[in-house]
Amino acid sequence: MTGKMNASASTTISQLQPAAEDGQYDLYFGPAHPGSGNFGVKLKIAGENVASARADPGYLHRGFEKLMEYRLPIQNSVLSDRICVLEALNWNLIHAEAVEELMEIEPPERAKCIRVIMAELSRIQSHIFWFGAFCIGTGFETGFKLAFGYRDYILDLFEMITGGRVYPAGYICPGGVRRDFPDGATQKITHVLDPIGKMLRIEEMENPGLVARAKGIGVLKLQDAIKLGATGPVLRASGMKTDVRKDDPYEVYDRFDFEVPTRGEGDAYARYLVGIEEIRQSVRIIKQALQQLPEGEVIAPKFKRIKLATKIPEGDVYVRNEVARGEAGMYMVSDGGERPYRVKIRGPSFLHMIPVLEHVLIGAQIADVPAIYWSLNVCPADLDR
Amino acid sequence: MAVKEDLEILAKITSEFKIKGEVRREGRIWLDTPTEGFVSFCKWLKERGFEHLSAISAIDWPDESMFELAYHLWSYQDKILITLKVKIDRQNASIDSVTEVWDGSAQVHEREIHELFGVKFEGNNNLTPLFLEDWQGLPPFRKDFDWREYVRRKYYDRQNERECVYYD
Repeated sequence: MTGKMNASASTTISQLQPAAEDGQYDLYFGPAHPGSGNFGVKLKIAGENVASARADPGYLHRGFEKLMEYRLPIQNSVLSDRICVLEALNWNLIHAEAVEELMEIEPPERAKCIRVIMAELSRIQSHIFWFGAFCIGTGFETGFKLAFGYRDYILDLFEMITGGRVYPAGYICPGGVRRDFPDGATQKITHVLDPIGKMLRIEEMENPGLVARAKGIGVLKLQDAIKLGATGPVLRASGMKTDVRKDDPYEVYDRFDFEVPTRGEGDAYARYLVGIEEIRQSVRIIKQALQQLPEGEVIAPKFKRIKLATKIPEGDVYVRNEVARGEAGMYMVSDGGERPYRVKIRGPSFLHMIPVLEHVLIGAQIADVPAIYWSLNVCPADLDR
Repeated sequence: MAVKEDLEILAKITSEFKIKGEVRREGRIWLDTPTEGFVSFCKWLKERGFEHLSAISAIDWPDESMFELAYHLWSYQDKILITLKVKIDRQNASIDSVTEVWDGSAQVHEREIHELFGVKFEGNNNLTPLFLEDWQGLPPFRKDFDWREYVRRKYYDRQNERECVYYD
């Protein structure tokens, strides 16, 4: 890939004439492109429009599934941060749930509530990042800067609670959470909900430039969405009312009252609106969780002191969670040893960035490619793993 | 626990297809599926509402000389997760593709398994590699591929005084 890119950089303008007789030429969008983020799409362009697109992953492949086979659950818990930069806490949670289900351990009530609060805060900051990235995809740079400014309030909160701004180093670990909320954390969370509200008002202002760029592009019909395996906000924007938190509740999500936003249009603008509404619902969940937060332990007694060599009982389990990007899953197999025998990670972007992206890009204008790309709320990290 | 609905579906599957399975907890059905008639069984499941192929995973068991494939299916109507487990021979690893059932999503899941485990999916017309570039060796997620040994050989020099520590 890089070899080809270097070669094309040294070609002269006269060599860049349409190669084929039909007037089509190749255009590389990524992987080292400021608008694509560690992911490449090979576009075939005819005139101004995309004739066909081929996703080219692998730039960020680290092989987590294999790495986890070599490590103990307590190490994997830290490793699971890195599956997706923007959703470290959610991936922590999925890994912890898989290990707990295999070992038949029930985390304490307080830990479950803390997990929900942290997962929802993580979803909000990821959605705010999504808005920022979508703005830069449509050339609305002010929105990008505002989003990153407001996202920092949540990162400060993460630093206070977990010790890390982006990577919590396995804060949500098998058995519960690493440590309790420090003093004043609940008040600080309540305070941070104010700037989130402000950010929501900014997103709702419907900048005419952004709306004009986003409406009607990258349309994904419901039947195609199901066929291509879309989940999460992408599927909801195409009109399917589904959410793992509602349909297949994990942790304590069944105790909270929240809506699942849907739209019917399936275009980039619909996905953007679904994202905004999801932030509002997450705020609702956090408020309820803070009210219901019980007192008590935050980690199961078995995990209170870290014993490295704990055997995982034989068996296999498939855990599903709703992360900001869609449905995330982890399939864990144990043969009775200390390390998992096999781990399979199902990232939501795996399907959003290969079949769905290849499908929605066909016929789009070159200028709309970054807007469509970011409207899918993609993360190359959980695709490549 | 309301597992009644799950048991009904399981009973229907057992009577129609003679496939053994169990309900592990509410909304979780695990089935041991034979390779004969696998695709037609998948078609039946899809018509029954299992429209979403969440993932396909492969497990390598070199001692028993087999691959185990797990297909995780979700039904948006019934809100039930079915996991199909299929055992195939490790020496001649191939199975019928389910692309005609789950289309685009099955296609890319199978492509990944093919690249990382070397399982062949008969009927999938695009099994080009996704992640690895110009990979010639053993499929890297198989158990007999020692990743640490590979990294040592590829990236660290035993003669180099700083890098030889990785060999101890």
